[in-house]
Amino acid sequence: MAGKPMTSNTRMFFTMLWGAVFRRRSRAIMAVVASLVGAATLFCLTAICIAVPQQMNDEMRSYGANLIVTPIETDGHKTGIDSAMVDHTTEMVRAHGSARYATYRYENVRVNAAPYVMAGVDPTQVRDLNHHWSVDGSWPSSGAVLVGRDVADALGADIGSTITIGYRSSDNTASSSSSSSSSDGQSSSSASSSSASSGQSSGDATSQSGSSATNASGHVSSDIMDTKGTDFRVAGIVDTGGNEDSIIYATLNDMQKLTGTKRGADVIEYSSSATGDDLNKTVSSINDMTSMHVKAQQVTKITSSDTRIITMLQTLFWIVSLVVLVLTLVGVSTTISSIVSQRGYEIGLRKALGASSRSIGAEFYVESAFYGLIGGVIGTAAGYGLAHVLTTVVFGRTLSLNWPLAIGSVILSALIAVLASIPPVHRANRIDPAVVLREE
Amino acid sequence: MLLELDHISKIYGSLHAVDDLSLTVPEGEWLAIVGSSGSGKTTLMNMIGCMDTPSKGSVSLEGRKLEDLNATQLADVRKNLIGLVFQKFYLVPHLTAVENVMVAQYYHSVVDEKQAMEALDKVGLADRAHHLPGQLSGGEQQRVCIARALINCPKLILADEPTGNLDEKNEKIVLDLFRDLHKQGTTIIVVTHDALVASCAEREIMLNHGVLVGEKWNDDAARAAYEAAGGKPASTGSKAEGAQSGDAPVGFADPTKAAKTGAEPLNK
Repeated sequence: MAGKPMTSNTRMFFTMLWGAVFRRRSRAIMAVVASLVGAATLFCLTAICIAVPQQMNDEMRSYGANLIVTPIETDGHKTGIDSAMVDHTTEMVRAHGSARYATYRYENVRVNAAPYVMAGVDPTQVRDLNHHWSVDGSWPSSGAVLVGRDVADALGADIGSTITIGYRSSDNTASSSSSSSSSDGQSSSSASSSSASSGQSSGDATSQSGSSATNASGHVSSDIMDTKGTDFRVAGIVDTGGNEDSIIYATLNDMQKLTGTKRGADVIEYSSSATGDDLNKTVSSINDMTSMHVKAQQVTKITSSDTRIITMLQTLFWIVSLVVLVLTLVGVSTTISSIVSQRGYEIGLRKALGASSRSIGAEFYVESAFYGLIGGVIGTAAGYGLAHVLTTVVFGRTLSLNWPLAIGSVILSALIAVLASIPPVHRANRIDPAVVLREE
Repeated sequence: MLLELDHISKIYGSLHAVDDLSLTVPEGEWLAIVGSSGSGKTTLMNMIGCMDTPSKGSVSLEGRKLEDLNATQLADVRKNLIGLVFQKFYLVPHLTAVENVMVAQYYHSVVDEKQAMEALDKVGLADRAHHLPGQLSGGEQQRVCIARALINCPKLILADEPTGNLDEKNEKIVLDLFRDLHKQGTTIIVVTHDALVASCAEREIMLNHGVLVGEKWNDDAARAAYEAAGGKPASTGSKAEGAQSGDAPVGFADPTKAAKTGAEPLNK
């Protein structure tokens, strides 16, 4: 029996709520629409504000590396960075933020007796790191190479044609110091371009030394017209407008077969999400570990412009969004407030019937919260749809549903609806019921 | 006495909506407060019903001075002692007839649909219980309002122009309901400008521009019982023109009734 009155009164509470919501449809719809507009605007703008700059950040990072690591080779013997050290370095980089990377092994080769730089790479890694590369045809695969535009033009090579690449160990004997010293210049340029230039310059240097190399018998070997080598199919042509256009890219496996030697990478390029101080810390942490025999450098130009553009965009987005949001929320509050104000006589009547201010407040606030909740759910769904369309059509990006933001948007809608109804309920509650009823 | 008004006034700026009125009402009495529009009848009813506070003087209900009570206590008095009947009905438009009756139960104590249905049955509206106010006629809405006023068995029914918006047939139904309530011992105070409605009451007081101008009894037996219980005539300390002076009741002829019957309105 003790529970029965409570149940009856609770049922009556919900009966009143039901009646207010479903039998006063026009006003309820108005309140829901007001909340809906608010929630849709809130969700749409915030989702875009969060997602678009984040994606732009990711995409900007895909325009090459912002950090490069090269080996320190003191004995003139070119061994590169072995895979264990690559893993270790990557671990250190990832300690300060997510990162993608690619390793490059450079060797000087000859095609039709002319010297070129060939890079042995993992095509997947390089492709993930350099989204801005324009590749006609395919990326390198076993027996197939990707050649730079300048190389293709010089050789008159097309996609599908075959080129013969020769390797002479003598071409590469003096390249280690050249390679490491040229790496120093990479800090002010894009990693891959500088790597390429490093390879190219070393190629030039070694080709000269190669041309005057002496054979075992002591005679000068003039092998400048030597065109022997291994045939490779041209799978694709890469055009970046940078030094990549002068390089031939092959798979690491092909490179090992061609050279007959297996060694570590000459350069590791990283595209790290860390920027500013975090990136500096990453560089320092690697350089401080002298036992690793590697040297890390920032590609400063890309990093700073990257950060500046994204910060600028983000700030602009947030300012515009905040202004729009404030205006929308004022509109929502005014609408809800006006709807509750129109029911002033009901508040007066309930008070005349003996209702306490608290119980009247509870009834009206729950009702407003309900409007806010319904409007919030529909509005958030609509906002997501709108944000999806906007990001796809205007920004050319994808947008996945941000659940915490969606839940926050629904809760905020309900909260705003309740807050908006506080002043009119409080006002009507303070006045004597007779006055409220007289004004009706 | 159930109700005691001690020199109460309601003043808005320079306007005295009610001017220095003293009145006592015993339990079980049916009192009519009459007067033309703007005479202060509704203001007086609101003060009696704890919905408004006097600028001066004191209102006591069951010996409790209302000016000593806070908002919550006043709300308690309203829901426990008073049943309100309004001229404009004031039903909650999105609740059915029976739900409107149950609203009064909800704020009073416990909702009981069966009781609410019985109250509607008492006013002849059992078959309209699940209709919204918008689907009911004015007379039916007023009967729902009366059922709502009755549901918590109040000691005092305050009715403001209860027949003001009703046709003759519905007026009769409502007055019959009041008669039944009166017979059951409920105290009724009706504010009206209708002479016929007022004449149903045992006692009438007349206000004019907030000032008591007369009092008359329609039931001598009730008057005798009132005086025997120590009841005093209504009085006013107002010096306004036409104000009743002294402690003796001053009779009046209702102008509305005079207009209807063609008789000369005379003060007795």
